[in-house]
Amino acid sequence: MKLSRLAAFAAAASFTALAWAQGGPSDPQIAGIVVAANQVDIDAGKLAKSHSKNKEVQEFAQRMITDHTAVNKQAGALVKKLNVKPQESDTSKALKAGGKENLGKLKGLKGAQFDKAYAEHEVAYHQQVLDAIDKVLIPNAKNAELKGLLEKVRPAIAAHLEHAKMMVSHLK
Amino acid sequence: MNLPRPLPALVAALLLLPMGAAPAQAAGATHQVRIEGMKFVPERIEVAAGDTIVWSNKDFVPHTVTAAAAKVESGELAEGKTFRFVAKRKGEMPYTCRLHPVMRGTVIVK
Repeated sequence: MKLSRLAAFAAAASFTALAWAQGGPSDPQIAGIVVAANQVDIDAGKLAKSHSKNKEVQEFAQRMITDHTAVNKQAGALVKKLNVKPQESDTSKALKAGGKENLGKLKGLKGAQFDKAYAEHEVAYHQQVLDAIDKVLIPNAKNAELKGLLEKVRPAIAAHLEHAKMMVSHLK
Repeated sequence: MNLPRPLPALVAALLLLPMGAAPAQAAGATHQVRIEGMKFVPERIEVAAGDTIVWSNKDFVPHTVTAAAAKVESGELAEGKTFRFVAKRKGEMPYTCRLHPVMRGTVIVK
């Protein structure tokens, strides 16, 4: 528990303004963060869909796969239109590393333990992504269409967060 | 033989009237609900029995209009798709998006 809290803190810290003391991320870096953030949650959703026996968890996992794939499709179309190449940054790399670590941890769990760990991580993850959208990504996006995409994505992340909290409460 | 000038206009008006007003009244009014930003807008809508409600999904993620108790189910609505429903039974019909259960709306049929 302590370790996972520490990992969550590290991931949160890498997202926030602290990590961008030298000035915020550029638009290509923001695009890279968006794509990485979505892919991490799609991968976790795929694992949960195949591992969990709980109907609510499976449905939530499918929702994450569908919705985050839709966001990445929009992001992909926009970067193509703007001729921007998503760029890696310490944040996108930290996201991918955090996602990989979470998958590794989840793979070692079964049944109710797996469901609980997946659900709780989804709450923490969506809270971090929401904070990043509000504190780092929207304030630093220079292109109006990129900013518009982030503003359009925000309500979906907020709804996923509430949905994940609902799932956690049902698993208790 | 020349007809008085106002007559053709009057005939036209009489012919057009039932075509325009009467059928619309018989079918009831149509109300629009947007599904946007993970919300039903407006979240609460009051209609008369016989009115039609049209939900339009403006989000890029799919949604549904689901009122389990009233057995209303739109199926998955992709972006840009609509769902039409004629409100018949009077009373309150709470509904949700089956895919995103935090989204809620209410139709009041008077």
